[in-house]
Amino acid sequence: MTEQDGVLSDITVLDLSEGVSGPLCAKLLAGMGAEVIKVERPHVGDESRNAGPFPNDDPHPEASAAYLFLNMGKKGITLDIEADTGSSILRRLARDVDILIESHAPGVMESRALGYSDLEPNNPGLVYTSITPFGQTGPYRDYKGGDLIIQAVGALMHPIGLPNKEPIKVGGSAALHSVGMSAFSGTMMALYVRDVEGYGQHVDVSAMQTVTVTQIHASIHHQFGRIPTRRESTLVEAADGWVNPGLEIGVQEDTWKKVCDLIGLPELADDQAFNTREARRTNQQDLLAIIGNWVASQPKEQIYHTLQGLRTIAGYVATVKDLRNSEQLQYREFFKTIDHPVAGKAVYPGVPFSIDNNPMTQSRAPLLGEHNLEIYRDRLGYSGEELGRLRSTGIV
Amino acid sequence: MNDLRMNNLALKDLRILDLTQVAVGPYTTFLLGFMGAEVIKVESTSRMDISRGQARPTPQGYRVYPDNDPGERPWNRAGHHIHRNPNKLSLTLDLSTERGKELLKKLATLCDVLIENFRASVMDRLGLGYEVLSQINPQLIYLKISSQGATGPEKDYGSLGSTLEQTAGLASVTGYEDRKPLMTNETYPDPVGGIFNVGVLLGTLRRRHKTGQGAFIDFSQREMTASMLGQEFLDFSFNARVAEPMGNRHPIFEPQGVYPCQGDDMWVAISVRSEEEWVGLCDAIGMPQLARNPRFETALARRRNRDEVERFLTNWTREQDHYDVMHTLQKNGVPAGAVLKGGEIINDPHLEERGFWDEVHHPEAGFYKQVTTPWEFSKSGRIQTTPAPNLGEHNEYVLSDLLGMTSQELYELEEKGVIGTFPIGAE
Repeated sequence: MTEQDGVLSDITVLDLSEGVSGPLCAKLLAGMGAEVIKVERPHVGDESRNAGPFPNDDPHPEASAAYLFLNMGKKGITLDIEADTGSSILRRLARDVDILIESHAPGVMESRALGYSDLEPNNPGLVYTSITPFGQTGPYRDYKGGDLIIQAVGALMHPIGLPNKEPIKVGGSAALHSVGMSAFSGTMMALYVRDVEGYGQHVDVSAMQTVTVTQIHASIHHQFGRIPTRRESTLVEAADGWVNPGLEIGVQEDTWKKVCDLIGLPELADDQAFNTREARRTNQQDLLAIIGNWVASQPKEQIYHTLQGLRTIAGYVATVKDLRNSEQLQYREFFKTIDHPVAGKAVYPGVPFSIDNNPMTQSRAPLLGEHNLEIYRDRLGYSGEELGRLRSTGIV
Repeated sequence: MNDLRMNNLALKDLRILDLTQVAVGPYTTFLLGFMGAEVIKVESTSRMDISRGQARPTPQGYRVYPDNDPGERPWNRAGHHIHRNPNKLSLTLDLSTERGKELLKKLATLCDVLIENFRASVMDRLGLGYEVLSQINPQLIYLKISSQGATGPEKDYGSLGSTLEQTAGLASVTGYEDRKPLMTNETYPDPVGGIFNVGVLLGTLRRRHKTGQGAFIDFSQREMTASMLGQEFLDFSFNARVAEPMGNRHPIFEPQGVYPCQGDDMWVAISVRSEEEWVGLCDAIGMPQLARNPRFETALARRRNRDEVERFLTNWTREQDHYDVMHTLQKNGVPAGAVLKGGEIINDPHLEERGFWDEVHHPEAGFYKQVTTPWEFSKSGRIQTTPAPNLGEHNEYVLSDLLGMTSQELYELEEKGVIGTFPIGAE
């Protein structure tokens, strides 16, 4: 391994997962330089190929945004692992890989003799990561759930939202993404152990458990007698959107006076209702009403820069459009334009870290079965005739 | 946990120098601690981790203490500290003094990893940046977690997890169907970033294991949070569409939402992703005839008649316990989950059976249940939670046992305020 290579450039991954979490985990491994072979169902492919959104809202299995983003940098092959021939081909593939990622319901892989204990004898160093809503054991192991369900059972969403309204989930598919990140960390842990100790193992990633780790207040506040509840929003409406003035925790003592001068209300500098961080937190809604007038007349990003200049921890509610225009993200070259034979050129968000200032690898997602020849013929040594037979029987 | 795994700790030979504070970094290091790493958390008597709260909190400034009582040493029993800093040792070291800097450098030669999440320029300004420390310990892995990354015009902007939700776009898609953005109040990018960083760090550690190379990792929390909106960014790129909050709804699944249940502020989440699940739902609520009604046959049809579907569902959920609704629906193949409160999640039977919660007796905060890890390994174990350390509790271990200082030297350091166990402002 040289300094220029990715930290995983000696690693091969079989990605049998679908949806968001598993594919994201494998995508992160690809970003660090691993060769990731995504195994999809023939003809159908990963369910995220139907999820969209699509260019011009015109559905096409090769142009689903969810799929294109979550499968960047992978090779794609098709294989029907429900058929005996297919599962035995997979067993062959699994002999020479370092990592296998899967997201089937518990027991499904075992029923096809593709469980960890089936593959481990022929590949003792294999890291086998299973990602499911509730984990491989326990009374809910067979239960189903996507982003909303796991935010509910992980105790994340109950305190989110407004008083007297229902709890609200974190938007997008944030929880499923966090599970993909946690699967990535668990997989890297097992890979590190393999390098040091020589053995592989089964990694059981539970979405519920991951979300429960990310609920930062609910469990501890409850136990220490301060029940978290949904509360009024602390966002204030600016001329073109929303801001959070950030005048409480983490603000320096002399900042408040500067803010009072800025908003043209210097007399508030000594007002006991607002002149400490704690007072401003206690009288938060009054404070927001007072600065609301000033905020309403300014553009949100300008408020953010102005208040940050006074050492507040202000934020502005950036939309995807705002982020594309953010000078900070542009400076860091966070967004990448990547071409795709069906979806065309598009701007993708990048990877949030670099190692020794080398950015991670970024390339497009594969077409369905795009690398069948490379993997089956060149790597496994199937003849054109054999491959034709596998095609005609629907295995590949 | 079987004994075999207990003795098989993934990170048993690693030592981490932990300069992190608040949440994102502390999450990374408590997870590393669970997997067996020795984590030395560095604070000072003049600058404690703000999770410890104030040395002498005013009633107005009270954070979260057991029984709402700050006690004699509030900094050792603040809830946020207790919850985010288990599995660590506590060293105090005033890094604004020459002696403090010198000792930190010495310590860096004995550590595999240094993690910090100060504003981006702080460590360089202290003369303790990667350039300096990598000269002393070329194998050191330096993980710099910052809100905006180590470079760029906003690199020294201040933030908390709560503000990152906004500046990274997550708040722009979180909220009710009135499309007004909302904060999560859960500083969501902090714990998620904490978990993510474990993987980034271990990838770099495996390279070091093979090549002996140290590394500088630049991790941007804002970029991590923005990367959760991959498909929304592509939608903007393809269709110039700007994503907005859509409540608990889903662009395709119908019905999807949370529904009221028996009890005070109790809810259940339900999500129907296919026609098969719709049939299961109709059976479960005792209205199998609905499944044959063309007005509800497809997700699109159910969306057109959403009010009716919601009424059927709410009428059925309202009189039941939310756990009961979840079990009934799941047994009919329908994704459903009780919207658990903090008091429920710590007693949930599933997590209980998986051994997720650790029962901890903290010497200053008493009994509580601690969050542990998001994963289970078939061969690597984790430690039982070691209670979060009192301020400076391990000064002697670190300075005497590791750095070989005498008790006289320790006494002098304490006299000069370089180390201590009482924060400034506590007297």
